[in-house]
Amino acid sequence: MSRAILRARGLVLAFGGVRAADGIDLDVLEGEVLAIIGPNGAGKTTFLNMVTGYLKPQAGSIQFADREITRLSPRRIVRLGIARSFQIPQLFREHSVLANIALALAAGGDFWSPHRPLLTTARETEAQALLQRFGLADLAQQRADALDEGARKLLDVAMAAALAPRLLLMDEPTSGVATAQKHAIMDRLIPALRQQGVTVVFVEHDMEVVARYADRVAVWSQGKILAEGPAGDVLADPTVRRDVIGLEGAAC
Amino acid sequence: MQLLLLAVLDGLAYAAQLFMVAVGLTLVFGVLKILNVAHGSLFAIGAYTASTLVGLIGTPDLSLIALALAALAVGAVAGPLIERGLLARIYDKEHVLQLLVTFALFMILEDVQKLLWGVKPLFEDAPVRLLGPIVVGDIYYTAYQLVLMPSVAAASLLILVWFLRRTLLGRTILAVTHDREAAQAIGIDARRVYLLAFTIGAGLAALGGALAAPTTSLVPGIGVQMIVLSFAVVATAGLGQIEGAAVTALLIGLGRSFAVYFAPELEVVVPYLLMVAVLLVRPEGLFGRSELRRI
Repeated sequence: MSRAILRARGLVLAFGGVRAADGIDLDVLEGEVLAIIGPNGAGKTTFLNMVTGYLKPQAGSIQFADREITRLSPRRIVRLGIARSFQIPQLFREHSVLANIALALAAGGDFWSPHRPLLTTARETEAQALLQRFGLADLAQQRADALDEGARKLLDVAMAAALAPRLLLMDEPTSGVATAQKHAIMDRLIPALRQQGVTVVFVEHDMEVVARYADRVAVWSQGKILAEGPAGDVLADPTVRRDVIGLEGAAC
Repeated sequence: MQLLLLAVLDGLAYAAQLFMVAVGLTLVFGVLKILNVAHGSLFAIGAYTASTLVGLIGTPDLSLIALALAALAVGAVAGPLIERGLLARIYDKEHVLQLLVTFALFMILEDVQKLLWGVKPLFEDAPVRLLGPIVVGDIYYTAYQLVLMPSVAAASLLILVWFLRRTLLGRTILAVTHDREAAQAIGIDARRVYLLAFTIGAGLAALGGALAAPTTSLVPGIGVQMIVLSFAVVATAGLGQIEGAAVTALLIGLGRSFAVYFAPELEVVVPYLLMVAVLLVRPEGLFGRSELRRI
């Protein structure tokens, strides 16, 4: 059995009267693809924000690879090996696709040599290989703000993958794209990330996507985890189908 | 005809001085998103320090080196001190508060100047005398103002553009400028980028002051005039536009100089008339782009 690479215990975070996290306990196992599902406002993104240091829980703790990370800054957490992508892709709009990847590749290194170029031969080769894996090689010279939404999503994840993380959190990697394009995006992302040996957690609303790509599923509801387990079992659970997925009839 | 040539030469020299200060202001705004009113004080302190150092060294041959050293010292000391000690605490605050804080700093630094250098005019023109005059047409002009200052301004522009567009560190600064959150998400230390950008901006203001020092009597308040004019340059170009600041510095420098010779009563208002005319047509400035509002 895989060991837990991420361990969240008793996470609590309230915004005024709304408890976005109300005692969250979750283990993410090394090498798995875990989907987080639940209605809007259930606290899914809040959880990602707490793990990546953008929000600090009012109670509870988060351990990554047996190291306490609850109070660390987003930058420190990235450097420890947790990367993320965003629901609205966070790209450097005026840079080319290649330069976006090169910046991510260089981010962990030494920035402080004022004459050193961004695109060294080695970095460009590495960036091109990464773009190839994520199906973006043909767009390398395009500016990020000229990409369609699907390519922007792919680039956002590719930049996170360029950081060579052990754990990658993706916030709705297929939101805002046509249904037909969703599987194409995930067909690119998941094999590329598995090939890299990255543990993946992704927030998703499309149950077809979840069923097809997730090993395990955790169901969020009002700041709590309602159910958690193998994808097939959780998605067949009558309570989950009725209260979260919104399908009439409790049976599968 | 001679008057016309004189106006062009004056405008060129003044534009170079204006650009040195404005480019620092626009760089700081572009990266930190703070309009630093105290930027004018850094210009003034650079000027006073340069004059003092030139006087202390006493050897005209070393006076140009003294100017550069003064600018370097003011930028390297005041930049980190202000950024770490003050601005780093207000990045997440309202723009109005940021403006008030830098205005308060400006007022304090104005008094610091009076404390250190008094209120008597200070004039040290050894660097101008060192380079001597040059003749353009029938006009004798100082090589310092007509060759050195525009050359330093042009070199500053080229180096800055090369640095920002071609080097890893420069691209990192631009990345933080475009999207601080995205930069943090890939592990870039935005705080160090802010410190670096502010120090470069402070150094450019001080260099502008050091270069201006041998051409004018230094009196309390020189920073005020410079920050207001620099703001006109930066706003006309579009906030954060470096090459644009060079063009508008030239435009405003020439406009002011032509007013001096052909409509002296308009000298003071010409830069602002130009700014208002541009902003009425293009509120984002000549080279600025309107930002999409994020929701």
